[in-house]
Amino acid sequence: MAIEGVAKTVLLGVEMGMTLVLVTVGLTLIFGMMDVINFAHGSLYMLGAYFGLTVVTVTGNWWAALLVAPLLVGLLGGLIEYFSIRPLYGRNPLYHILLTFGFAILLHGLVTEIWGGQVQNIATPALLEGSVDLALFSYPLFRLFLLGVSIAVAAVLWAAMRRSDFGIVMRASAHDSEMVDALGTDVKRVFTAVFVLGSILAGLAGVLLGTSRAVDPGMAASIIIQAFAIVVIGGLGSYRGAVVGAFVVGMLNAFGPTFAPQFTDALLYLLMAAVLLVKPAGLFGNPEGA
Amino acid sequence: MPSERMSDEKRSVQFSRRKFLAGSGATVAASLAGCFGGGAGSSGSDSVKIGFVLPFSGTYSFLGESIVNGVKLRLDEQLDGEIDGRSVEYVRKDTGADPATGASITQEFLQSENVDFIVGPVSSAVAGAMKPEIASSGSAIWLNANAGNYKLVQDNCTKYHFRTSFNTWQTSAPLASYINDNIADNVVLSYANYTFGQQSKNLFREEFENVGGTVVDEIGAPLGTSDYSSFLQEIENSGADAVFSFFAGSDAVNYIKQFSSFGLNGKMTQTGSGFLLSADTLQAQGTAALGMYSLLHYTPTKQTDRNQAFVDAYSGQYDTTPNVYACQGYDSALAAELAVTEAGGTETDPMVSSLAGAELDSPRGYFKFKSSTHDPVMDMDIRQVVEADGGVQNEVVETLTQVEGPTWGCDL
Repeated sequence: MAIEGVAKTVLLGVEMGMTLVLVTVGLTLIFGMMDVINFAHGSLYMLGAYFGLTVVTVTGNWWAALLVAPLLVGLLGGLIEYFSIRPLYGRNPLYHILLTFGFAILLHGLVTEIWGGQVQNIATPALLEGSVDLALFSYPLFRLFLLGVSIAVAAVLWAAMRRSDFGIVMRASAHDSEMVDALGTDVKRVFTAVFVLGSILAGLAGVLLGTSRAVDPGMAASIIIQAFAIVVIGGLGSYRGAVVGAFVVGMLNAFGPTFAPQFTDALLYLLMAAVLLVKPAGLFGNPEGA
Repeated sequence: MPSERMSDEKRSVQFSRRKFLAGSGATVAASLAGCFGGGAGSSGSDSVKIGFVLPFSGTYSFLGESIVNGVKLRLDEQLDGEIDGRSVEYVRKDTGADPATGASITQEFLQSENVDFIVGPVSSAVAGAMKPEIASSGSAIWLNANAGNYKLVQDNCTKYHFRTSFNTWQTSAPLASYINDNIADNVVLSYANYTFGQQSKNLFREEFENVGGTVVDEIGAPLGTSDYSSFLQEIENSGADAVFSFFAGSDAVNYIKQFSSFGLNGKMTQTGSGFLLSADTLQAQGTAALGMYSLLHYTPTKQTDRNQAFVDAYSGQYDTTPNVYACQGYDSALAAELAVTEAGGTETDPMVSSLAGAELDSPRGYFKFKSSTHDPVMDMDIRQVVEADGGVQNEVVETLTQVEGPTWGCDL
């Protein structure tokens, strides 16, 4: 591989990895805080894409979709948490798995009913069309934008969790929610807020990736499998793990077709198996990993 | 709304069965038998019963619905629900994408529902599981409305199988000489790495090398890949002047969009099997697909009177343009119509004889069931994506007439 090839593949890996962070962070935060394994997370991502599609169709403005669709998904996520997940806190985690799995099936059916089963796509905004010349190679502008947004979101979240009051409450609740509750913070409201935040991020990823990729009812299942694998590799519940895991998987996706063309789809699971053998809790899997 | 249609239909099927039993003065015992699925009387000699073994849920549900729409356009709308004075009844069950489910539905339709025709499936894997059931039963005609695997004909071919769709050879190999003559004498192959993709790639490769072209490299991507960027880099590195691909559905949209966003459309000519750039993906692919070539047996924009009549009727009924699956459904209905009319009834063997070698007046153009394989002999369109009002569409640049393909040792 020539130097340009390597450089481009590295950039591809970083971009694919960081984009996945938008999905995996929500998944891992929700688990880390509430011990809820959210199978509907991929469906919220899918809804982001479909809401985005409708907003673009109605207003003709992609930027409006980027703003409105994630908020709508956040609202829906809040309603799901408040009315269905909240009553099940404290029970066996299996209840949450069954519940969110049910939502995944329900939302799949609803989306097919409302938007149809055919493949669609959100048109790229004119401002972000074309490629940028990066000296060694040129790269699609939209994908650079995706990378920028993902890095910004990951950085803001990280800073917020380290520095803000809400971040401190979040980390404390993840560590010992009963104690936080006893100290006078309404943990249930924190849980709802985190679920809404995770949903907004999933919705944002839906609009962004629904523009560079196909939008169809199968997109929920395909992202959730990969996202879970990443979160398991990084350590369930760990923010750092979700970011590092996504980064590693991005690199794997980028270099896989060159070095192991016949095994690209198996690589992710081989990596997951290898990590679990060495570190059963994942790379950063301990309660304080966040 | 698909599910509304489905429940309406279930109701009407149940209703007609009840009506039949009541009308024939059946005893309580007989009606119980009917309720429990042993209703041998449900397919009376004066009716034609069609069983849909198709996906109505999951990734391929859209294809299943399109096939049903095509069948019903002919039988319900154009023939008022009757073939040669016999009323048409339907049963339908969802295969999902599961071969075992497909096999058990087929068995049920053959044994309990006594269907005269089986229409489906979408997936070749499901078709493989259905074949032994149909071959051993011999009580119904199988109108294969989408499964293209050529091995269905190669291994133990059965006379009850009539392909109203295409085989994998037809949607790949015939493009080879056109590419070699008009586009490039060297290609890289890219394909979804599963049976259908591998078959298309291999059959194309064989033909392309036969006509003197060179295959530089081949690159398989897992089925359902959403980001093709690193595969695209391999394709670009191959240095080929053209690329032949097999991808379908959302894979085709992802692949084509990303192919062009990385600027590969300025460096090499994209060609492929028609599913890569079909009516149901083009809308989403948009201008990224401009200038690309593909090969398929049905093109909605084909300028013939026969096709125009079909497109008008279909759009009038369903408010959307027909796709290749709808055409395959429509042709399945034409085949059922011809079989029952020519054979003067629903006896299976006489229907087989009337269909073998028969021609259908298909919207796709020339269509005949080849006597030795029961695969279609048909016109294939080479299309190029061009700009159109509010988007892009396929324009037929050349029609290959009466494309047959190999018999793979089948001699019925």
